[in-house]
Amino acid sequence: MSAGAQPTGAGATSLSARWPRSRFALLHLSLQATFVVLCLFAINVSLPTPDRSHAVQEATVAGPNGAAPVRLPATFPGPTPRLINLALSFTAPEKLTEEWSVMTPRFTNAAQILVNGVVVLDTRRKASNNRPDRNAADIAVIPAQLLRPGVNELGVRLHVWGPLSGFLDTLYVGPDSALRDAYDWRVLLFSTLPVVFSSWQVILAMVLGIMWFKRRQETAYGVLAAAMALGALHTFLIPPEQPSWLAGVRAAAIGSAPLESSLVLVFCMLFLGRRLTPLFTVLALAPGAIIVITGLAGGPEMVRLAFIWLGLPAIALSLGGVVWLTHAAALSRRDLISVLLASAATVLMTCLIRDVLTIVGALPDQRIFVTRMAYAAMMTMIGACLTWRFASALNEVDSFAGRLVTQVREAEDKLRASFAREEQRKHAAALASERTRLTRDLHDGLGGQLVSIVALAERNGAHGAQIGEAARSALRDLRLVIDAMDDIDGDLMLALGAWRERTAARLRPHDIRLDWRPLSPGGLPVHQELRPWHVIQLLRLLDEAVTNTVKHANASSITVSFGSFRDQGGAARGRIIIADDGHGFSGQATPQGRGLDNMRRRAARCGVAYSLDSEPDGVRITLDLPERFPETDNAA
Amino acid sequence: MTAAAADMDSSVGPSGAIMVLLVEDDAPTRERLRDVLAGEPGFTVREAGTLAEARAVLGQTAPDVLLTDLQLPDGHGVDLIRETRARLPGTEIMVISILGDEESVIAAISVGATGYLLKDAFPTDIAATVRDLVAGHSPISASIARFIVRRAQREPDAAVRPQLNTARLTPREIDILWGIAKGFSYADIAAHLGLSRQTVPGHIKSIYRKLEVNTRGEAVFEAVQQGLIKL
Repeated sequence: MSAGAQPTGAGATSLSARWPRSRFALLHLSLQATFVVLCLFAINVSLPTPDRSHAVQEATVAGPNGAAPVRLPATFPGPTPRLINLALSFTAPEKLTEEWSVMTPRFTNAAQILVNGVVVLDTRRKASNNRPDRNAADIAVIPAQLLRPGVNELGVRLHVWGPLSGFLDTLYVGPDSALRDAYDWRVLLFSTLPVVFSSWQVILAMVLGIMWFKRRQETAYGVLAAAMALGALHTFLIPPEQPSWLAGVRAAAIGSAPLESSLVLVFCMLFLGRRLTPLFTVLALAPGAIIVITGLAGGPEMVRLAFIWLGLPAIALSLGGVVWLTHAAALSRRDLISVLLASAATVLMTCLIRDVLTIVGALPDQRIFVTRMAYAAMMTMIGACLTWRFASALNEVDSFAGRLVTQVREAEDKLRASFAREEQRKHAAALASERTRLTRDLHDGLGGQLVSIVALAERNGAHGAQIGEAARSALRDLRLVIDAMDDIDGDLMLALGAWRERTAARLRPHDIRLDWRPLSPGGLPVHQELRPWHVIQLLRLLDEAVTNTVKHANASSITVSFGSFRDQGGAARGRIIIADDGHGFSGQATPQGRGLDNMRRRAARCGVAYSLDSEPDGVRITLDLPERFPETDNAA
Repeated sequence: MTAAAADMDSSVGPSGAIMVLLVEDDAPTRERLRDVLAGEPGFTVREAGTLAEARAVLGQTAPDVLLTDLQLPDGHGVDLIRETRARLPGTEIMVISILGDEESVIAAISVGATGYLLKDAFPTDIAATVRDLVAGHSPISASIARFIVRRAQREPDAAVRPQLNTARLTPREIDILWGIAKGFSYADIAAHLGLSRQTVPGHIKSIYRKLEVNTRGEAVFEAVQQGLIKL
């Protein structure tokens, strides 16, 4: 059962972290004592009664041994059913200024009230009055014709049909306005309020029942719904006027109390995660069921007997069990829900003990039963707690779902990232393997042949030098192509490093020095978007610049400077400057236009800003790298 | 046996000349290299066109420098390098590469070579490179340095050949390799790292030695072989 599986579940604040066991036990006990005191205090608050001057208390009861005086309120123990006749009197004024009424605040089981021998009030006419647990009051206006100035006779026929002994509270006779307020208050307290509670119970029974219907594993909800439905039935099912012609219904109404209490016991066990054996369940529910069956099969007397001998012990045992279970749970779990349940059980037990004392006559002047109302109030509270807990659980589910969504999104992002990484890795691997394949092909074929050409050309002296240079140039280009295909992770410096080496070797026979000058500590910025074709274009551009210098400039050194600078937008941009110390183009025709055009075109294809300055002391080519290298060839 | 020993002594040469064994199957290239080296003062050159010839020469003499191509008509230069490295620890080994590509050069380094020479190198560079090698200065190219550092900074990938054990490289050595990969001169690197310029070549030779695979491990050798056989 999920309720038991989450002892500090939704809505239950764990106090165990803050309170050690012994201190908590002390706190819990004092809390329960406070509840008992508050409960007794609430019960003993005097009920609304009319002014004492209207009270009629002195009566005589006709008995087999003649009339005996009785002072109301009075209990009438003895065999049931029977009829008790009481004779009382009251004094009416000489002249009536308003309507007079007679009110009986409490009676068991029913009362007929006669004024001067005429019945003015029969409580049995109102069905709800016939329920001994309802604390019903009744009132009737005395017809003016019946009232005599001076002393009037007041008679009461008290019908007692058990199982309770007869009881009659003080009667009040007086102006209707003086009595009506107290009566209305009692109706509100003992009639309307229970209906309100019962309506709540009906609603909660439906809510909990639906919860159970949709979530069958939440058996506790189902059991509590059943208990609440029974309680509501108990309230609304008005037994017909005594003697009943529908004994079964009446029996069901009476029998519902033990059944209800055992259902509450079962609920507590389920809710608190106790193991519930089928045998125990059957035993717990048996008394109530037997009473109902008895009611359906036998007569009212059998129901009465069954209720007294079976029902009452069952109720006592069930509630005792509930008290024990809830308090044990509160002490061991120390969470808010358990403490609330235990407190509810304490209040219920206090009310029950008081009612039992009333029934056995220990409190002779009282006949107000509070257990049923307290029970209804408690059940409503428990239902509210459960609903609260359920809502909290839903919240938790929501936040869990929210977390899950977040986690799934994060996982997706990670997956996407790792997929992208994997793609990149695959791409790099494909490039590497293609490069390896190309390298091997060139190595085995073209490369070897070009090397042979170099060797053969050198043996042919000056004549072969040009051929050798052409073959070397082809080899250089091969190396450049292979080098550019290497995965340099966007670090152009790595490509330039290899270029420097090749170029330095190439310049050495021409006695031209290659200087390498970083302009900023970080060198060139890294361009993740850098592709082999960008590298090839840039390196060929630099090669062409070097070729021009070698062929035309008569220079002794070439300086390659490189570094980063911030453009207007604040982005890091790379700059490469290749300068020689030759005589520039001054006074000469510009070197072959094609070489310069080539350089310009290569720069444009990569989105590089190209500028050439020719001074008498050298040529200087500045390449401003783009913020991002274009993905596609601009010339294409 | 004594005759052989005497022969070996004589091969080192009383003149103190650097004796180079040149193993190259392409005749024009071999002749060119031989001419370049023989034309330089202080070099004596023996040459071989095949693995068998090279082994025969190595059986008689211990050259100061073994200069070998990798692809030979009767076998692979890697075998020759490995054998020489094991038998003649005093001999500096240099591989002759057409393209200077890392695959062939690294393979040679992993079996004991400490340098490489481009087949189309200019005559002056050829002699200088060999002299530097004998002086303990191993040449390293930017692309080789790049290959090593990038391999050092990546998780090993079994699919990528040749295998390279970069675990023993120190952070300083890796810094030096980065500098070389980015085209900086030894002087620049030394200044940047607070080293003496003269110590940089020594570091490079140490890097090569650390990359050498202990060929007793059959599996490692296998991997190297596989990486090379496909050349």
